[in-house]
Amino acid sequence: MISAKRVSFFLIYLTAFAGCVFGAVTDFTSLDRMVIQNEGRKKPYLVFAQEALLSMSGKTALTIDEQKIPANEVITTMWLQPEGWNKKPLILINNLLLKKTLGLPLTEKWFPYEALSTNEAFQKLLAEATEQRKENPKDKLKGLPKEASTVALRMAQFESLTKGTLHRVVPNLDHANGPWSTIPEFTAAQKNADPALTTRAAQLDTDLSALQAALKAGNQDEFNKQATTLESSLRMVRPEFFPSDRQLNIELTYQHIHPFRWAWIFYAATAIVLALTSVKGRRAGYLVGWVLVLAGFGFQVYGFTCRILVGGRPPVTNMYESVIWVACGAIFFSLVFEAIYRSRYFLMGATPVAVIVLILADTQPLILNPAINPLTPVLRDNFWLTTHVLTITLSYAAFLLATGVGHIALGLIAFKKQPTPALYNYIYRTLQVGVLLLATGTILGGVWANYSWGRFWDWDPKETWALIALLTYLFVLHGRIAGSWSGFGLAVGSVVCFLSVVMSWYGVNFILGVGLHSYGFGNGGFSTVGTLVGLDLGFVAFSIFRHRQMKAAKKNTAVTA
Amino acid sequence: MSVVAEPPERKVSPEVLRKRMIAERQKKSAIWKMIHILASLKLALLLLATLAIACATATFYESGFSSKIARSYIYDAPWFTFWLAVLCVNLFSVTLSRWPWQKKHAGFIVTHYGIICLLIGAMVGHKYGFEGNVTIHKNRPPLNRIVTNRSALQVQSPADNALYLLPFDAEMPVPTEAHPRILDIPGSRLKLVVDAFNNNMQRRPQLVEVPDGSAGILLKLQSTMVGRTMEMPLLLEPESARSQDFFGMAKIALAADLPKEVASHPIETQMVFSKFASVIHSEGTATQIKIVLSKDGKEITVAAPDGTGATYHREEAMNQAIVSGGTSVVVRQYWPDFEMRDGKPFSRSDKPNNPAVVVEISTTAAQTENSNKPALTLSRLPNGKVAYQISRSGAVYAKGEAAPGESFQLGWADWSATIEQSLGHAQSSEVMEPGKSLPANEKEGIPGFRSYLLNPDHQKSAAQWLDSGGSNTLTLDGQVVTFSYGLETRPIPFTIGLLKFDVPRDEGTETPSNFIATVEFKDAKNGATKVETTRMNHPASFPGLWWNTLTGINYKFSQAEWNPQDLDETTLQVLYDPGWLFKWMGSLGICMGIAIMFYWKPFKS
Repeated sequence: MISAKRVSFFLIYLTAFAGCVFGAVTDFTSLDRMVIQNEGRKKPYLVFAQEALLSMSGKTALTIDEQKIPANEVITTMWLQPEGWNKKPLILINNLLLKKTLGLPLTEKWFPYEALSTNEAFQKLLAEATEQRKENPKDKLKGLPKEASTVALRMAQFESLTKGTLHRVVPNLDHANGPWSTIPEFTAAQKNADPALTTRAAQLDTDLSALQAALKAGNQDEFNKQATTLESSLRMVRPEFFPSDRQLNIELTYQHIHPFRWAWIFYAATAIVLALTSVKGRRAGYLVGWVLVLAGFGFQVYGFTCRILVGGRPPVTNMYESVIWVACGAIFFSLVFEAIYRSRYFLMGATPVAVIVLILADTQPLILNPAINPLTPVLRDNFWLTTHVLTITLSYAAFLLATGVGHIALGLIAFKKQPTPALYNYIYRTLQVGVLLLATGTILGGVWANYSWGRFWDWDPKETWALIALLTYLFVLHGRIAGSWSGFGLAVGSVVCFLSVVMSWYGVNFILGVGLHSYGFGNGGFSTVGTLVGLDLGFVAFSIFRHRQMKAAKKNTAVTA
Repeated sequence: MSVVAEPPERKVSPEVLRKRMIAERQKKSAIWKMIHILASLKLALLLLATLAIACATATFYESGFSSKIARSYIYDAPWFTFWLAVLCVNLFSVTLSRWPWQKKHAGFIVTHYGIICLLIGAMVGHKYGFEGNVTIHKNRPPLNRIVTNRSALQVQSPADNALYLLPFDAEMPVPTEAHPRILDIPGSRLKLVVDAFNNNMQRRPQLVEVPDGSAGILLKLQSTMVGRTMEMPLLLEPESARSQDFFGMAKIALAADLPKEVASHPIETQMVFSKFASVIHSEGTATQIKIVLSKDGKEITVAAPDGTGATYHREEAMNQAIVSGGTSVVVRQYWPDFEMRDGKPFSRSDKPNNPAVVVEISTTAAQTENSNKPALTLSRLPNGKVAYQISRSGAVYAKGEAAPGESFQLGWADWSATIEQSLGHAQSSEVMEPGKSLPANEKEGIPGFRSYLLNPDHQKSAAQWLDSGGSNTLTLDGQVVTFSYGLETRPIPFTIGLLKFDVPRDEGTETPSNFIATVEFKDAKNGATKVETTRMNHPASFPGLWWNTLTGINYKFSQAEWNPQDLDETTLQVLYDPGWLFKWMGSLGICMGIAIMFYWKPFKS
């Protein structure tokens, strides 16, 4: 017993000693600018590292043994020093049922590769998934086999990362857009090629080994030096096929700044300031609110500009981008209305909903993927597409603002305060913008479909739901003209009808899962969205109850008077 | 006598006067009264609500069942069309009810007429236009017919042999024995009764005895491991029916010649890891053969592209060929605990923690006709028995005789063969059979139905299955009725041929970034030709003159589908929509009308 203790103590001592002498490489930013070809485009290594870790672990930084490790460190050490990583908990499993089935601790979220690869139950589920797919390759997997295969894809990602097969850093020799290769692949291919290339390949090999050695030795300065050498050797293979410095800078800065996170922080600050100063110091609070909201809006505009410059396309082509764009649009409309009416209500309505939407986008990267990927052919290079999608999503933005303002009205009623007719008029004004944009956007969609798919209207679920949303809002507006309801009905309508927008925006892609708008299809988030919708409907019901109460009370006082 | 004097005329605002006039005319004229009733806002609200609910229901139908059901019960249903017509009447009446119009009504009128115009366009397009598709191939002659998406039954009348086209979709509604669907055969008193539907029809080969036929056998090949059964007819005449390919790996032939031996050549090496081999596909390798290493590294499985395969001990295959079908596999190296160290493969230990092998695969299947594939050769003996001989890489390793109904092992994985039929004078034919039904949304299967003839005396003919694309002949009372079922085709007044088809890819991947077809149109009347390209979002059109484009009296070809296996082929969606101008004007009206209504304030005089 004693001897065993001594040995282990000795081992600890040794490792501590080794750490002391050699130090360790802790800063991996020297590799950030290395260009890598991945998922159909060339990107900085930092972006690749963050996306790779995100798809494996669902986060862009890991916390192992209470130490936070950024993506570039994880991915680089997995590449250069893969030993031991298979024992580190980094493969994400979210599904509780799957964890239960595999006999894994339910409180943990990340698991080591090794634990999963030796898990019998997991292998059995995978075999089941393979069997299902063999029977019908097009069949969508369901239930546990589906969850298991999602995890298996993360494990495959792990394998590719540790084997280095994703590190395609050597440019294609012939075409600007040809496939790039990994350093070992390149070396193997140049064995009998012309001498100049063989030397290049040998140089890359040496540089890579030197980088590896520096990492092993824990020499930070040497690592930085070798990273720069490797980067320039790679560039020398075909400098003309590399993206420009400007492009790399744009993307790296964008990646560092997190503009959309700052945007919601500023919007949240705006909402808080406006709420706190709603009784006292209204003027000053309003002014500060304007400054804060403009700052947040500036971050959003900056973020969108970066995404457009990096992707070379309009920024509304997947769920993540549309979510962020809608938040941006809601703020934009609130700014315009605020400039006209100076009422506070628009800012107070827009900022909380924008914050909710932006936080969803910021915290759910697995459902709303922030990566900038190439588009499916049908979405490329089209004027109608751009105008159609931007118009439709801007209409969602207007309706989102209407919901926000509608909530203020309903909230006042819930607290037994009568909203002013002006507030109801603001809701009406916002709905007008939405209806005009939604009608135009839906029709532009028809024009695009006629152009691209060969027909104007075909009852595709997405277009049908856009129409349903339009019909429900028209119902609310016409009901007001008919005198069936007035301002309060408009407020309720602006909140309830937003459900049809949620359905056509999120539901068609995530719940129905059929139709031609499949490029936006995805999974998950159902419970979050469902809970939000449920809570909101409860709130609406409560304010309707209050509204009735107030009406009855008024009648009573009128009668007694 | 009333004391209260009427207010002086000049003090009443024009708006009040107008309202009074409108109320007045409803009392005087029944027509105006009717118009105002039809223009009711309550009706508008009802229309908006029901249309929204109907559409929402339809999308859930589509998700839960199929788009066909959603269409037939809602979108294309007569009540839905009727409801849209009511909407048009409501919209039109409401504009009349505001008569005489004022400046402030501009937006309102333009919007409401825009919707009517759009709906008229939709009706015109639905009635006089059509949608379809055409699959064109580079090496095949140009086409002058397109396939619509409507199913139809083509019946040859027993009376005058004339062909009749009856719109008929066997799926909508699905016929059953309790609720069959009955069609009149034109020119006769017979009826066609359709009493079953299947969406996964299978064609089964069969041999029939004919006097001038040649010797033939029907072979059933079975594998329990793969869970697959296939039937294979072989005939001595014609020559093309003598031999058949077995998944590209082997040859099965009705012939007596003995194969000669040839050597196989290594053509491919693969690195195989035992972990997650089942998830990571080895697609894209030349032989398409998948090698799976078991978790303990003790067994390897060789799988052909179709999923057939066999499992062997790894040690058995170390530097020694194992032959499976047309493939020979040699394991060249094995690492129980694989790891890359300094760029070289290395085994950390002898424990199978991460087993990996390098295998060399050679196949004889791709070689020329003269060399011998692994083969099953059969020959029909005069007594009806069948002599067989199985060779691997040229060497015969099994032979024997089997009577009809008897089976023998092939030695290719667990495949076995059964002689189902052995005939001296045979001809090959096919029978249609319903397969296991597929889920409703599945578009892969071939639909078909069972039908029989019925005469006025309630006598029935034999029932037969028919698949989409096939034809049947039924006989009753000496009357022969031939009919075929499938998607309706329709002629176009020109031909379309594919000159070139390009599929550029995303950088560094195999993901298509576009589909570009260069097509040639040739006018049937004057022979004028026109070359156009169609790519994603950029359709080609014919005739394509400015007024064709404007009115929609134009054939538009958009890229719809492609065949990854054959890059000389593409499918284009065809649209002919004479309602286009109405739709376009209506759309413009709606958008502009709403904008005017909300944001244009007429100057008050």
